[in-house]
Amino acid sequence: MCMSDSEFDVVVIGGGSTGTAVARDCAMRGFRTLLLERDDIASATVGTCAGMISSGLKYRSEPDIMKMCSTEVVHLNRIARHIIMKNPILTPFRDLSDVGSDMEYVESYSEHAEERDVPEMMFLTPEATIAIEPLLHPDVVFSVYYEEFFIDPFRLCLLQALDAKRHGAEIKTYCEVIGFETVNDVIQGVVFYNRITGTTEKIGAKIVVNAAGPWAPKIAGFSGAELELRLNKGAHIILDRRVVNVGISVKALDGRYIYLFPHENTTLLGTTALDTWEDPDSLVASFDEIEYLMRSIETYIPSIRDARIIRTMAGVRPLVADWKVPEGKVTRGYQVIDHENGLISFTGGKLVMCRHMAEAVTDIVSKKLGNDSACTTHEKPLPGNEADVDVEALSAEYGVSMHALERMRARRGTEMTKILELTKDHPEWKTTICTCEPIIEAEIRYAIREEFPQTLNDLRRRLRLGTGPCQGTFCTYKAASILSEELDLQGDDFLVDILDFRAERWKGIRPSMRGEQLAQEELAQGMYSCVGNLDQSDVDYDLKPWEEGV
Amino acid sequence: MNEDEAFEYVKNTLRKEKITPYHSHELEVVKSVERCINCGLCISHCPVVAAVGVDRFSGPRSIAVELSRSPPEFWSTADVVYLCTGCGTCREVCPKNVDIPEVVNLIRARIFEHRPDLVPKSLHVLREVLTEYYLAFEPWEDKEEKNESRDMRLERLGLPFVQDKILDKAEVLLYPGCQAEERAQEVREAAKVILDHFDVDYTLLDDMSCCGLPSRLMGDHETERVLAKQLKEKVKKLGIKTVVTTCAGCTSSLSDISYRNEWGVPAVHILEFLAEEIGLEKIDSATKGSTEFSDVHVTVHDPCHLIRHTSRQITDFALDILRQLPGVKVTESEANDSCCGGGGLVSYHSDDVAKAVVKENMEAIQKTSADRLVTPCPLCTAQIESNLFKTGSSVEVDDLTVFIAQRLPKKR
Repeated sequence: MCMSDSEFDVVVIGGGSTGTAVARDCAMRGFRTLLLERDDIASATVGTCAGMISSGLKYRSEPDIMKMCSTEVVHLNRIARHIIMKNPILTPFRDLSDVGSDMEYVESYSEHAEERDVPEMMFLTPEATIAIEPLLHPDVVFSVYYEEFFIDPFRLCLLQALDAKRHGAEIKTYCEVIGFETVNDVIQGVVFYNRITGTTEKIGAKIVVNAAGPWAPKIAGFSGAELELRLNKGAHIILDRRVVNVGISVKALDGRYIYLFPHENTTLLGTTALDTWEDPDSLVASFDEIEYLMRSIETYIPSIRDARIIRTMAGVRPLVADWKVPEGKVTRGYQVIDHENGLISFTGGKLVMCRHMAEAVTDIVSKKLGNDSACTTHEKPLPGNEADVDVEALSAEYGVSMHALERMRARRGTEMTKILELTKDHPEWKTTICTCEPIIEAEIRYAIREEFPQTLNDLRRRLRLGTGPCQGTFCTYKAASILSEELDLQGDDFLVDILDFRAERWKGIRPSMRGEQLAQEELAQGMYSCVGNLDQSDVDYDLKPWEEGV
Repeated sequence: MNEDEAFEYVKNTLRKEKITPYHSHELEVVKSVERCINCGLCISHCPVVAAVGVDRFSGPRSIAVELSRSPPEFWSTADVVYLCTGCGTCREVCPKNVDIPEVVNLIRARIFEHRPDLVPKSLHVLREVLTEYYLAFEPWEDKEEKNESRDMRLERLGLPFVQDKILDKAEVLLYPGCQAEERAQEVREAAKVILDHFDVDYTLLDDMSCCGLPSRLMGDHETERVLAKQLKEKVKKLGIKTVVTTCAGCTSSLSDISYRNEWGVPAVHILEFLAEEIGLEKIDSATKGSTEFSDVHVTVHDPCHLIRHTSRQITDFALDILRQLPGVKVTESEANDSCCGGGGLVSYHSDDVAKAVVKENMEAIQKTSADRLVTPCPLCTAQIESNLFKTGSSVEVDDLTVFIAQRLPKKR
């Protein structure tokens, strides 16, 4: 074991929305902070969500949580507006009897609308409804209109991690916690396996925060503590481009609500909610989930099957362990559990409240460590949100198309000028690498140098590489060669990373593959098997659980 | 807030978010672009990409997989989508039939609505002309001067003058289009000569107005609608059975709006009218023995708006007619169907791009060693003629309608 003399005030386990928010808050309050993530930032639960920073309208039975959600939306719009978009949303009804008690939503949503600078819920005539969204069923009798905000969940987590780093925290990805060093059952240190170096390391820690999401019980178990979660699977279908003009939320076949939300340059159809005991690492969307979503939305958008499905994604919500109630009745609040052995765990929570969760736990950490500095995470901007960006002026100055820059702005805000500066010495780095997003070479180089990715999948999370309609048919090799050059990867590593990236894409493509995506996959197969001969490669690569053997 | 106020509020929010809901008639186009598999065939065939490179014009593939994905961001594509000449080559070679030219129009319409400041300035000037005169060109101030210009052209080309026929009722409406009405008057005159020669019962409009294509191409749907409506009323009032035009752009535009707006009257190019209604035999006997002209070696340019927006059959008609004209030898050019660069209003604001696109045609025309280029479109004629002239080429250019009219024996 590689012994390290490093001693941290706080070690945060988990690089999701909560873990990165905790690391940021701890670092900003001056604690020596280390974040350990066994994979990459935002590589599990948060990476499969729709990015809605919800007003909490579904939680009308929990008014405190609605209030908290609303306040957090205001905070996020202050600290991260460059990665936030507003979605106008319609909830159409075909039958008045469908409405029932749902009208309570209207009141509870409207209660906090003003502070978020959105209107109160409104009613629209069928004519207005169809004019706004002509794909809707002509039998719609009225609709309810409201607005919600959406964030890029990958960038949010990464920006929180980067901001933590700027405030002195250490962020270690690909480091999996495998145990604790304890004295009298109290945690003194954290033992982890570094998957990059292949070594086991140990560091000292005064307090450990367990933000491991679905894996939190496992982490708690290492310390001898018990923790229970109610794991709940959620799947999304991702459609090529924005096929609807506004978000559409409808009552599903089982009476829950599902939605079709324009998100960045795609449309998300989600979500399911199934209690699950499957391994979160190899989870894929099931046929039943896909059909449930399609059939439910089909009752309001009859032509939805004409739209092109590019892939699915599935993740696990780490809900508070309330049993014997339907999933929808489980609190959407979070709990902070002090195991009184140096470990503090989270259960529950939502993307929108990640900052609030971090503040709550950092308050406890402060109390324990005797530090009284106040939380400022809701006031200080995340990197890139310091000022407005003039895309037109930058396009003229650096000679990159406005659309490429507008997409870059949506990922990076003011930080994009650093990328564009790189093109002064390297004008060839203006080349488009991912054609669908698009991404230019300079941004890939910058991300590799500044945002600690190790793999193509990490680049995907930072840049949306390979997430468009072609699902990496053309950008994979190009991006892999840049990554290899920057990280000095050897030939076999280069091929294994390409295989890993293709496998990860396949994980989402396979369950929903139909229609136009079949033609795309045929082309991708030609590219990687017939041209690249990857199916005949003899590199040391283990098939993933969702891949068939040869 | 009552429901009407609510709708107004929502419309206002959509405007702020730069969302113009897709109209139901646009959904087919959106659906078509979802079929793109990013294969890139279109990039290899796009004449603009070939001429100026992907750094200047990222090409049809990028329009399909990148630029058309998110309406709130359409404004940021203005530096690219206004460079598309709308030739339709991409759509023709696409294995998935993605309708790129219409996607371009759809995007331009959103830019025009939400960020008119990003629309090239010269197109706003064109819009002012269109809304003031209902024509794509500012009309002649002095009618006398216009007539003088016409007579000079007729004299130079050896065409007779046929009086304008403006009737209350006729079988055929001769619709010359803005270019032939105000600029290339010889084309309008030649069409009259042809129709008159074959005793067609035709009329002109007493008040010529634009079909709306330029408005459509710049994204100004409002003016497009006004113009299309105006024209429909005029056509309906005349009770004609066919609209005949001499312009390629008008042919595709009129076919489109006559179908969409239910005119119940077909619109055809004069070549199609000649081949289908008059008949090749009649043309043959009319032009037989015409000795006025010495032998001429021609090559043909196929206008995009005919071959790719209407039908390739029309240029087959052109060749059929040319081949039976006495003393005319036809050599096909290697780039006969390559865009002349004059489409999509590109030459209005980015003449360097238009010129770069036509270069391929120039070289191929020279290679045929023809003395003359003919093409059934006054816009292509003007674009190719001025570029050939600038390169010092001796090849002359004629609108095909003029070329045919010249070879008809003079009446009386």
